[in-house]
Amino acid sequence: MNHTTLTVSHAPFWHDGDSLFQRNLNIILALLPAAIFGILQFGAPALGVLALSLSFAMLWEAAINLISKKPPAIDDLDSAVIGLLFGMMLPAVTPWWLILVGTFVAVFVGKIIFGGTGANPFNPALVGMAVLMMSWNMFFDFDTAYVNYDFAFTALAPLEAVKAQGASAAQLFPLGDLFMGREVGAVGCVFGLGLIIGGIYLILRGYTRWELTVSFIAGVLVTASIFHIASPQAYAGPLFHLLSGYTLLGAFFLITESSSSPVNRIPMFIYGFLGGFMIILMRNVGSYADGTVLAVLLVNLVTPLVDNIRPTALGKDISNA
Amino acid sequence: MMKRSFFALSKPRLVYDLLEPNPDPPLAIDLPLLFTLLLQEPLDLAGKTLIQKGDIVKKGQKLALYKDSMDYAVAPVAGTIKSVAPFSDDVNGMRTCITIEKDAGLDQDTQSLDFQETQGFAADHLNTLPGAPPFDILNGENRRISTIVIMGTDTDLLSTTAQYMSTVHADLLIRGARILKQITHVSRICMTKPQRLNSTARFEGIQVLETGLTYPETLPPIVMKNHLEKIITAGAAPEDMGICFIRAEAVVSLARAFEKKEPVFEKCITLTDKNGFRHRIEAVIGTPLKQIFNQLEIQINELDRIIINGPMQGFATFTPHHPVTPDMDSVLIQAREQIQAVPDNACINCGKCIQVCPADIPVNLLFRFLDTAQYEAAAEQADLASCIDCGLCAYVCTSQIALFHYIRLGKHELNKLRIDA
Repeated sequence: MNHTTLTVSHAPFWHDGDSLFQRNLNIILALLPAAIFGILQFGAPALGVLALSLSFAMLWEAAINLISKKPPAIDDLDSAVIGLLFGMMLPAVTPWWLILVGTFVAVFVGKIIFGGTGANPFNPALVGMAVLMMSWNMFFDFDTAYVNYDFAFTALAPLEAVKAQGASAAQLFPLGDLFMGREVGAVGCVFGLGLIIGGIYLILRGYTRWELTVSFIAGVLVTASIFHIASPQAYAGPLFHLLSGYTLLGAFFLITESSSSPVNRIPMFIYGFLGGFMIILMRNVGSYADGTVLAVLLVNLVTPLVDNIRPTALGKDISNA
Repeated sequence: MMKRSFFALSKPRLVYDLLEPNPDPPLAIDLPLLFTLLLQEPLDLAGKTLIQKGDIVKKGQKLALYKDSMDYAVAPVAGTIKSVAPFSDDVNGMRTCITIEKDAGLDQDTQSLDFQETQGFAADHLNTLPGAPPFDILNGENRRISTIVIMGTDTDLLSTTAQYMSTVHADLLIRGARILKQITHVSRICMTKPQRLNSTARFEGIQVLETGLTYPETLPPIVMKNHLEKIITAGAAPEDMGICFIRAEAVVSLARAFEKKEPVFEKCITLTDKNGFRHRIEAVIGTPLKQIFNQLEIQINELDRIIINGPMQGFATFTPHHPVTPDMDSVLIQAREQIQAVPDNACINCGKCIQVCPADIPVNLLFRFLDTAQYEAAAEQADLASCIDCGLCAYVCTSQIALFHYIRLGKHELNKLRIDA
């Protein structure tokens, strides 16, 4: 008997071919329309911010892997996604050192100290953003950030304007302008249409879950409508809130981050809705003009709690036993 | 390799192969010189076995290791025993393999048997018929089987063996079902059949259950849930709920055996080669797979993978000389290039496994318990016992974690813990 060595492994012997690399590559692809629009609108500084942010995030991960003697893990593009998302939330004129610090916090504090890919209880990009916003708040003032630019539209940050002047300021920003990116804001968050196209692409490809996005948008719309109906002078309308600030990025890319969001359907609805609700609460009642970053971080906390609502497994139901 | 569809909003659809219209009869595989029979019972190296190297066996002779062995094999040819040796299966369980060299000089007529339609006779002599009828389950004293379900559908993908047997040999199946009824005194006999399979046969006295074409709709727990309105209790087998599943081929073999008054050995197998081409073959139980590959001119190279009983639930054998067994419905060969390495990724909590799990198990939690070897906690808090072994979670896993492997290991370890306790 001549013996041929065979490959022996465990069932199933098929896989659908999906991988972390594929998943993250698709997320990056979906972010591109909004990112490219930001570069066109804000010019080379925006490109600089995105490129620095993406590369710093990957370099931080590689460096930390090297120091901690772990196998390099940047090839799954997870830190690239963190970096790109992070860069898209920054104004185009952010100084380089801020990005350096922010990406370190995002990748190291947000992800690696919890155990790396998949172990983060919070959205890493938002952890970085939150620390920067708390520490260097002046760099996130979108009104002063773009003073040297000359735009063909109202160069006021919509949410800050509404915060300062009340709901009447919302009339300065036609919804069509917000939708098509004729506003000032973060590099990757001004082009609503691009974010929606990218987000829907991801949902159709099965990389993010529609339950999260839909319930998040519902949370935003319902809560904003209640405020708006209660006091139309004080609070801007629901669609204004949906199309301004980080809301759309939040709905399609931040709230859907896999590790920090629930996995069961009903919890997803609760979680998403709660996220949308918190954002409007922070905007209308809190002191921040845009509450997306903190609101999403806050609902990340409830994930383990709501995820306990799950269907009974097959054959575990007492009444059938 | 099945690829993920571009749009993946809903669950993946893994569709069972449907039997082609007017199927060709299987290709008969020539008898080999050496036959290998597998026994579940491990070999006690200290004790003396009833059968020894050099013994002459007759065709149809029952071979058991020890006097009180429940497990047995039936010699498919007359010949000499070449060896009785230990054999380890895919989960490192010890089994025994008996090798018989065919002896042309011996009388190749089958040893005559007094065929009786009784439980005892069936359990004593017919357990190893092609299709492996579970007479030991049906004969169990403390169980009462109220329903027998004949599986005219294949449980795993890439197999049409069950559909072929239940369609082409429908008349034998009906006769076999009648004999089965006589033997077991079970009044309710059902049969599963794929929804779109055209069959002109009329199965009188058998309740036909039409199952869907998407995996895992033909797995016994799902058939019970969808068609028999019985939810299988977590950790229980169908027979604990009074339902016994039996392959269509086993029923056909039963009819053939009673007709000829002697055991039959020809097992029908669906073989899928490296190019995805399907062959239907008929080989005598004990034939090494190598013989089949040689006859079909399939080259087996280093590091190829030979998968027995389907891509989702089957197992990979370590040797191309693995024999044909009574329960072998399909063989799949994957070339080295088609095999993906298993990476060492962490779970990213994407929830695809949960979306796809037919048993509603929190797979992401379960994996965390199993990864840290907390088997008791896995059973108590993450529903390990509810798993019906379909393998879909590992099929869709973005991180490509061998989830099904973890689950099998978990069940195995938990079993050991409970036995020790």
